[in-house]
Amino acid sequence: MQTLKITTCAAAFQAMTLAALPAHAQQAPEGYPADYVDLVTAAVGEGEVNVYSPTDSEQAEGLIRGFETAFPGITVKWNDVASGAVYNRVVSEAAAGQVGSDVVWSNGLDLQLQLVEEGFAEPYKSVETAHIPDWAQYKDTAYSTTVEPIVFMYNNTVFQEAVPKNRKELTELMDTKASELNGKFATFDPEKSASAYVVMENDVKNDAGFTTLVDAFGKARGKVYASSGQLREKVLSGEHPFAFNINGAYAKGWAEKSSNLTVVYPEDYTIAASRTAFISKNAPNPNAAKLFLDYMLSKSGQEAVADAGLPSVRSDVSTDNWDSVNKEAGGKLVPIELDAALLEGLQPAKRGEFFRNWKKALNQ
Amino acid sequence: MAKTTADATGFRLSALAALGILVLSPVLLILYQSFLSGPFFSPLSTLGLDAYVYIFSDPDFYRALGTTVLFALGTIAICMPLGAVLAFLVTRTDLAGRKWLEAVVLVPMFLSAIVLGFGYTVAVGPTGVVTLAFEKIFGPAPWNIYGLSSLILISGLTHVPHVYLYSSAAMRNLPGDLEEAARTSGAGVWTVARHVTWPLIMPALVFSIGLNVMLAFEAFGLPLVLGDPAGVLVLTTYIYKLTTILGVPSYQLMAVVAVVLLAIIFPLVFIQRKLLSRSRRFAAIGGKGARVTRIRLGKSGQLIAWLGIGAWLTISIVFPIGGIAIRAFVDSWGAGVNLLDHLTLNNFEQLFSIGALQRGITNTLLLAVIGGALAVGAYLIIALAGHRWSGAGHTALDYMVLMPRALPGLIIGLAFFWIFLFVPFLQPLRLTLFSLLVAYIIVGLSYGLRLIQATLLQVAPELEESARSAGATIGQTWARIVIPIIRPGLLGAWTMIMIIFLREYATGVYLMTNGTEVIGSLIVSLMASGSLDTIAALALISVVMTTGGLVLANRLGGKIHE
Repeated sequence: MQTLKITTCAAAFQAMTLAALPAHAQQAPEGYPADYVDLVTAAVGEGEVNVYSPTDSEQAEGLIRGFETAFPGITVKWNDVASGAVYNRVVSEAAAGQVGSDVVWSNGLDLQLQLVEEGFAEPYKSVETAHIPDWAQYKDTAYSTTVEPIVFMYNNTVFQEAVPKNRKELTELMDTKASELNGKFATFDPEKSASAYVVMENDVKNDAGFTTLVDAFGKARGKVYASSGQLREKVLSGEHPFAFNINGAYAKGWAEKSSNLTVVYPEDYTIAASRTAFISKNAPNPNAAKLFLDYMLSKSGQEAVADAGLPSVRSDVSTDNWDSVNKEAGGKLVPIELDAALLEGLQPAKRGEFFRNWKKALNQ
Repeated sequence: MAKTTADATGFRLSALAALGILVLSPVLLILYQSFLSGPFFSPLSTLGLDAYVYIFSDPDFYRALGTTVLFALGTIAICMPLGAVLAFLVTRTDLAGRKWLEAVVLVPMFLSAIVLGFGYTVAVGPTGVVTLAFEKIFGPAPWNIYGLSSLILISGLTHVPHVYLYSSAAMRNLPGDLEEAARTSGAGVWTVARHVTWPLIMPALVFSIGLNVMLAFEAFGLPLVLGDPAGVLVLTTYIYKLTTILGVPSYQLMAVVAVVLLAIIFPLVFIQRKLLSRSRRFAAIGGKGARVTRIRLGKSGQLIAWLGIGAWLTISIVFPIGGIAIRAFVDSWGAGVNLLDHLTLNNFEQLFSIGALQRGITNTLLLAVIGGALAVGAYLIIALAGHRWSGAGHTALDYMVLMPRALPGLIIGLAFFWIFLFVPFLQPLRLTLFSLLVAYIIVGLSYGLRLIQATLLQVAPELEESARSAGATIGQTWARIVIPIIRPGLLGAWTMIMIIFLREYATGVYLMTNGTEVIGSLIVSLMASGSLDTIAALALISVVMTTGGLVLANRLGGKIHE
């Protein structure tokens, strides 16, 4: 273990010195326009970049180190802002003329686009856009950076039924064995988690039978939880041996740690959620912000995040990425596109209708 | 009597004004926000009652309100008698092992309720360790930790330490001679307790009823973990739902519920003031130093006491802390899992590799120990300002002290985030630990201040009056007579505040920024990404450290007294 650490450290150090050279010499990274050097110089002059994100610093550690190594002289200040607090923090700080964020990176896709629409983001066409799929780009301002498949997860020691491979089988199982499997199913609570709502909104779009699934879930007295942490423990302990709409990027890591967890990519379709980044309007360090956003979308930035468990949107990386996840999902991966539909989902009337049906199904 | 207050009016009024600014600024901001159609800083927001109409026409609101009232009453009905009896046994009787018990009693307070609730799931949940073992031997377990009745039971039992702390501080200062007198006149143990000790500690108990009612109203962690799976909705979990219901966060709706919570304290404080209006009667620390004589329990008394205490310890400490401890050392648990096959130390490894967590540990300790001392200093100033002061000022103080307790920590944190953001001269402080400290001082206000006030109430006025007639100023009287007498109360308050600050999580969610991370709030994001294994490891370390610190403090405190 000790020697392993030393070799990793040595390798990291080597990578650091190698990568550090171009920035020191102030050359543009390979393939970037020649005047990128000016951006790097200006960014180094600013000296730091502030990131607001609900991605905890454990998962962001690689990204932070990678960026600081690639661009010595710029410190990444990571701000652990809870998912529900990102929007408020950006809007409030802007209203007070105290913008503290350079880059905002959140899994609340709808609210991220809302911030773009309300003018809280600074448009910037990243130099990496050629490598980023169209669905992951919005008005040359916001970019989705990860591929997080939404999956089924079950406890393979406790769950004794034939494992449902798609939503139709899941619906049938919950419907026909509603009393026998009473309280055995769980899912993410769309009422308490904004990102769970976005996923279900896409379920409704992709699957005409999704309301039947919700009905069957209600009939089997399924339970809902507000955080990935609770869901993980409930399935792990077998209290609810089967759950759907779990973030597969997390679940894959859990299953590696605990052998009794198994992840299933629904074969009808697998939604790919993501987290989206943009540069803040009036960012205190606008150049460093551009540099950081480019780095997040670059090959090495994407690989650093993928190494921490969040697969890359690019296809030319050596780590888990769109293609590898899509392969695991049997080619049925469907991204949540950054488009107007996300904004429509924020309309109170539309949400009200969804929640009325949702509650009706759950309280039957 | 008039003379005792005359020369301190300036001090009293300035302390009251400072408290007013600290407490009323978040409260008024929330009140204002509740009458708007959007965020208060948005030029598009208009004044109106829309948010009230929305909340008051939502059947879920009434359901949550009803459940919350039941929950609060149930919690009080359980924690008050048990806490008072426990305090009596520890401070006034020769209960075996009481020194040891004193250090352990407070343990349920060391963890944020969300983590505590999770501990219960691991121990006695449907697939909990204890439940599975029981089912193996006896068949289906007769308990279900989800639902209102379990929620009330667990909340009641885990709030016993709150009552214990307040009543034991009061009981410790009782003069043994009064009890002795009753005993020599032939009264039994329980007669003494009922007729002598009870009236003397009544003020402390009334205080803790008020506090615990508010605690129950703003409780979030336990209802979320133990109530939610059974569809039990309380006001705080209802607020949680409100944040996403309209798409963009709708703070005006949250503010309305917060205003409803605030409204509850008015009748509560009114009743409390009525009950305590004659509290001067109970001043018990007279001029004569009295040695505490402990009541002998006898063999059967010891046995009965320990049976009860043992049951309480098992449910309130062994189950939740045991559950957390187990989760900290395994990578899997529950049905069909042999824990011994899944032992691991990996959960602890992550703790030492994350920069933010290390900063979080340092910041949390700073806030708890140094910030806690500063907070107690502030509470002492406020307590003295209100000491032997009657009239409108004191009434205002009583109401203001309990106000912040009515607000969930998340909302206090949000209000202070806005205050530090929008008040120009405060802006530079927002990104420092100072902003968190101010919010924390307000969160801890009712806990800390009440502990100090309860002890102050017991100082007999003769002591102060004699100092005054000997020519001492009111400042000298406080510095030389009052403060030394209430020193145990101050130490108790500091301990309590450290514990509260260590486990606080909601307040920091909006306020913390890079460099001011606190453990409690980092737990929130760890929870979101699923790392309950890391959380369990962190929580276990924190329990062990807090217990250690408390034992150490008791030892040191003990030496100071000798």
